[in-house]
This record gives sequence, C-alpha cells and structure tokens, in this order.
Amino acid sequence: MMHCTMEDLLALRAGEGTTWARRHLEGCAACRAEVEALYQRVAQLKALPARRPARDRWPAVRAALLAERRRRRGRWGLWSLAAAAAVAGLIVFRPIWTNRLDAAELARVKRQCATLERDLGRYDPDARVTSGSAAALAAALEDRIALIDGELTRLGPQTPARPAALVKLWQQRVDLMRQLMSVRVSRATYVGL
Amino acid sequence: MTISLTVPDILVARAKSGDLDALEALYRAFETPVYHLALRLLRSPEDAEDVLQETFLEVVKSIPRYRGEGHLWGWIRQIAASKALMRIRRNQVRATEPLDEAAAGGHGSASVVPARIDLERAFEQLTETSRAVVWLHDVEGYTHEEIAELMGRTVSFSKSQLARAHIRLRQMLDAEGAGR
Repeated sequence: MMHCTMEDLLALRAGEGTTWARRHLEGCAACRAEVEALYQRVAQLKALPARRPARDRWPAVRAALLAERRRRRGRWGLWSLAAAAAVAGLIVFRPIWTNRLDAAELARVKRQCATLERDLGRYDPDARVTSGSAAALAAALEDRIALIDGELTRLGPQTPARPAALVKLWQQRVDLMRQLMSVRVSRATYVGL
Repeated sequence: MTISLTVPDILVARAKSGDLDALEALYRAFETPVYHLALRLLRSPEDAEDVLQETFLEVVKSIPRYRGEGHLWGWIRQIAASKALMRIRRNQVRATEPLDEAAAGGHGSASVVPARIDLERAFEQLTETSRAVVWLHDVEGYTHEEIAELMGRTVSFSKSQLARAHIRLRQMLDAEGAGR
C-alpha cells in the first residue's frame, strides 16, 4: 500500500494536500499517526525553553550607539563651524564690499548725469518751438532736479560713510534728466516735422 | 517559549526619538526572544550572542524609520532572522557545509541514526539550513515564500528542506526506526 510522503503530510497540515492524500489519510491509520507525530514534534519545538544570553550585550550596543552619535555630532559640529565662519565673514566684510559697490555705482551715475547734461545742452529750448504743456512739464522736471541738487549740496562733496544715500539721489537725478530729455527731444522732433 | 512581546506605544515613540532608556527597555524586552531565535538557528551561544548584538545595533540605528506597521516583534525578528541567516551563509562558506539534509547524507541512513534522543538534541543535529527552515516555518510561522526570500532560495527549496528535516527528525526520534 502506498502511503503519504512527508511532503504530502506537510501539505495536509498546511491545508494544501492533494485530493488523493486527503482521501488516503481518512483510511490509513499509519499516515494519521504520522500527521499526529508531526503536530507533536512542532508543538514540542514551540515549547522548548527559552535560553537567555550568558552575557549582557546592551553595554556594547549602547557604546556603539553613543560613538555613532558622537561621530554624527562631530560632522555637524564641523558644518556648524563652517556655517558660523561664513556668517561672521558676511558680518565683517559685507559693509566693506557694500561700500565699495556703492562708490562704484556713485561714480557710474555721476558719469550718466554728465552725459545727459551734455546731451540736453544740444536741445536749446529757447531756439525751438514747443507746446505750452510740454514747456510746463519741462519746468516741473527742472524744479525737481533743482531740489535734488539742493539736497546734494547740503550733503556736501565728501562721500559719507555709507554712500548708498548719495547714489539714490544721483539715480533720481538721472531719471529726471532722462524724462526732461524725452520731453525736449520728442517735442523738438514733432515740431521739426 | 511564552514571553510577552507587547511593548507600550509610548515606549516605542521614545525609542524612535533616540531616548537611551527607552532603547534599553526595548533591548530588555526582546533580548531573550532574539537570542532564543538565533541560538536555535545557529546552535552556538557565542554566535547567537553576536547576532543579538548585531540585531540591536541595527534596531537602534533603524528604529527612527520604523513606521509602526505590524508588530514590533515581527520587525525585530525579521532583522534577527536575517542576521542569523547571514551568519549561517558565512559559516557555510568557511566550513563548506552542505546546504541540505540530502547532501548531508542523513536522510534515510539508518546506520547513522543515534539511539533514542530527545527532540532538542535531534533538532540540533540537523544542518544549519534545515534548522533554520524548520524553526522559521514551524515555530516562528514564516511562510515558505518568506523563508525563500530571506534565504535567497526558491519556495520549493524551502519545502523540500522542511520535508527532509522532518524525516530526519522522525528517524532520530524513533529508536526502533519503525515509523512506517
């Protein structure tokens, strides 16, 4: 008589046995005993007493964890140091860089003003025909330029510790002069047509 | 082996935040089941202790990434089983131990079956691979698919290892060898 193999018995235990194995098991006391022995072995394995480690390994795990944390902090520490140095550099050197940049910008806007003065001189308003509204607009722009010139005179020729304020005034002057140029040139061109 | 493997959520949360006391509490809660699992798979107490240490080094490092899905013991056990199986592979490479019971020559060889012995000793006489399959499947409840994945082998390898291991156990436990 053919009996169930161990594979058959394990499959039956897992509820996956073949139809033949299931039918055979119903009529075979030897195979039923095998299945029972299988269950008992597994139950005994599960019931084996738990063993405890002879040595406490936590101190080693803890030491490794703390060493890892120190390494990580060290890495962060270096990064923090580098970041702090960068911030300190900005605090110390930024005013110097900023002042240098502002001085260069001041020189540039002064040159722009000088160029615009020359160009405006070529458009003598008295020699050209212009409308009343254009003349009024030009007069208003000239008044605002005069106000800025007054402010520049008040501040004096010496560049202050922070030349940014001077740069701003000169930039406003350039802007007004461009508008004045636009008024004079466009009207002159129009009249010239 | 009946040990409570349930730990309070608050303890897990503290451990995830790196609290050393909470991490130690987790170690104390799971050191015995981890060691027991490793010892059953590896047989050597020294190897089992090393696996215990490696497992918890991994646990304390990875617990911030533990998402709380499933039982914590399931997560720790997976790490422990993986570490133990890695050690088995290393041992096999060193000792060139055969991977299965058939290759070990134990299967069906009545002459090498010792006189009646208890199950624990019989289990210890299985090869490391067979012990691992039997323990993971029959005691820890892993499926053959999970074992195959852990061992980097096929499902049929796991199934045949289990069958051969049980045949060997039966032979060793049956003094008269008259099981069938």
